[in-house]
Amino acid sequence: MNSNISYREALEKYTPKKESSLPPTTTAKGALLEEFHPDYITECRTTLKSGVNRGDSCHTQLAELLQSDSRINEANLAGAETIETDVLVIGGGGAGCAAALIAQQNGARVILATKLRLGDSNTVMAEGGIQASLNREDTPQLHYDDTISAGHNRSDPKLVSKLVLDGPDVIRWLIQQGMQFDLDEFGDILTRRAGGSSADRICFYRDYTGLEMMRILRESVHNSNIEVWDYSPTVELLGDEQGGCSGAVISSLQQKRYIQVSAKSVIIATGGIGRMHLNGFPTSNHFGATGDGLVLAYRMGVKLRDLDSFQYHPTGLSHPNHLTGSLITEGVRSCGTWLLNGNGERFIDELSARDVVAAAVIKECREGRGITTEDGNVGVWLDTPGLELRSPGILAERFPKLISLGKKAAIDPTKEPLLIYPTLHYQNGGAVIDVDGRTEVDGLFCCGEVSGGIHGKNRLMGNALLEIISFGRRAGLAAAERKKLRHNGQLSIEHLNQLRRELSEENLSLEKQGPLLFPDYAKFDLDSDYSKLRRTQKI
Amino acid sequence: MSREEAITKDKPEVNVTINGDSIRTPATLSVIQALWHAGYPRVQGVGCLEGVCGSCRVLVKRADTNNISMELGCQTLVEEQMEVMFLIFPSPPQHNYKLEKIANSWEVQTEFHQIFPEAQQCRNCHGCSTVCPKGIDVERGVALAVKGKFREAGDLFIECIMCDLCMTGCPEGISPNHVGLFARRVTAYFHTRPSNLINRLEKIRTGELTVVHETDQA
Repeated sequence: MNSNISYREALEKYTPKKESSLPPTTTAKGALLEEFHPDYITECRTTLKSGVNRGDSCHTQLAELLQSDSRINEANLAGAETIETDVLVIGGGGAGCAAALIAQQNGARVILATKLRLGDSNTVMAEGGIQASLNREDTPQLHYDDTISAGHNRSDPKLVSKLVLDGPDVIRWLIQQGMQFDLDEFGDILTRRAGGSSADRICFYRDYTGLEMMRILRESVHNSNIEVWDYSPTVELLGDEQGGCSGAVISSLQQKRYIQVSAKSVIIATGGIGRMHLNGFPTSNHFGATGDGLVLAYRMGVKLRDLDSFQYHPTGLSHPNHLTGSLITEGVRSCGTWLLNGNGERFIDELSARDVVAAAVIKECREGRGITTEDGNVGVWLDTPGLELRSPGILAERFPKLISLGKKAAIDPTKEPLLIYPTLHYQNGGAVIDVDGRTEVDGLFCCGEVSGGIHGKNRLMGNALLEIISFGRRAGLAAAERKKLRHNGQLSIEHLNQLRRELSEENLSLEKQGPLLFPDYAKFDLDSDYSKLRRTQKI
Repeated sequence: MSREEAITKDKPEVNVTINGDSIRTPATLSVIQALWHAGYPRVQGVGCLEGVCGSCRVLVKRADTNNISMELGCQTLVEEQMEVMFLIFPSPPQHNYKLEKIANSWEVQTEFHQIFPEAQQCRNCHGCSTVCPKGIDVERGVALAVKGKFREAGDLFIECIMCDLCMTGCPEGISPNHVGLFARRVTAYFHTRPSNLINRLEKIRTGELTVVHETDQA
């Protein structure tokens, strides 16, 4: 890697071009992925020894967390207050808000508990857009075929079918919540093409699609009767004697105490795992994306799938240092921006599926055609000045977030290329669900990134924003229907005894506790004075 | 942690003051990273770490000036003798309205003044515009909304991250960011009617377009 060209030298050699042809491909996609995609690093794979997925392949860092001890025991719950509700939604991103809104509109009492503040999520950071087949040349069937094919034929056909057919109605629902989309001169929704797709299907609002979506959803939730609990991470689920889920234990960071919520339905919408920094990668994910929901669900007996498959977004910023990992939307490549190696050559069809592009970037850097900064970061060029040369004004008009990122980085992307390297972006798999977000555990639902099955082994751009609303609404509706049931009053953590027995039998360490809640570098302790400045033991 | 080591090892250091505590930190870190690096837990006031969630509001004073600016802690690089104060405050109570309760687009302006009666009290002090970390002309947005120019008002708030700083900067207790969001929402709610979307909804509703998937074929 050290033979890479230096940042300064590469920049001096660089000139934007009107035309540049793509050299013929030398490596087949499969071989490229196997050799260079981080999912295929064999040292990072292990086999789960406990729980319902015993024997399945899993990323080592995730396995450590899935096979960790609980953060609580019976003593913690001794004096804990119990609050009753119909539906408890865990997580305050797009999926959680959609689920909560629909559940509440269908007559359920809803509590939404979130680890940080309402809206602090990966949704708010999504840039590229949301998929929905709207154009004449496009159909839900093509959307379906593209999704299945991008996921390497590992998706659940029933889920994908619902997803693509929901697409247009999801867009309508979002407009009814007050969300704007970029429109053409006739008022039609503008679309662009995602890498790995056969039609223009991404609906968007500038490169702020997620921000626009999240701020209207947050406003909708705040203007409803949904009870929102900020700074309230869920540390465990509660069960009943029949093996169902009957509520959750919530840690109120502000009140420094545990609260038991007794709920007829629990919806986990906690998002992904980027802040676990798998394989040491930087991440484009939110501070709270630590895979909490996976751990909670797994302990209750929910089967997980595709735990060895993660998405590394090809274009994370790699320079300057303090902004490393920040995302640059695929939309920039959709508009025709090239990727160039240190020699100024293109090396991959920029609109191939994300896993292929990411692997190709890693290959360039590993084989000495990458660019290395003084801080030791590596990457290749995202040739934004070339795009600007071919379509003057497009960056400022379509990508205000990119321009704003450039200002923070002291780089003008219309004049200078940006150094990019893959950044950990998305968890492709997750909890196994049916078309209503139900898990195999009675009363427990999952929706959004924490669930699995839609994206198979690789996700298409824009399908995540569609999934969170489509399946958030589905889960919210199905969960609300259970409001007629009676609270059975059983709030047990017996499943933790089972967990501890299994961990001991398999000689697994009981030292590590899960869910993680916050990345290690935040040095968070449950007893740390969380709003002021005070050093804790965990330095 | 190896990644942190790579970023911080052998890098020039600077002295900064964060919430009154002196901290020595590598110069390549953001304000939040510097705090973590120095061993202070920081959870509240941390969010997306990409400058779009409005969680990490900070007051910043740089060595060469007496000016104080409002910035985002995740996006601000530490500098020698920089003074930083985290602005952690709960979100003030919200205005309560429902889009579906507004009968039609003729009613929007009247409804707006009922929901945000204080908006017309704006005394043009520029407080809101001055504190906006995104450089939005907030005050003009409020003025446009008061005049019923909701589309134009909303367009000014495209980059708004709902950090609530403009609310704290307003002596009249206006919530300019929520005014902006209201303006954006009514524009979509009453005026976005894309024909490509409407056609497609109809074709799916009638069953003209559907999906055949593997389990159907089996």
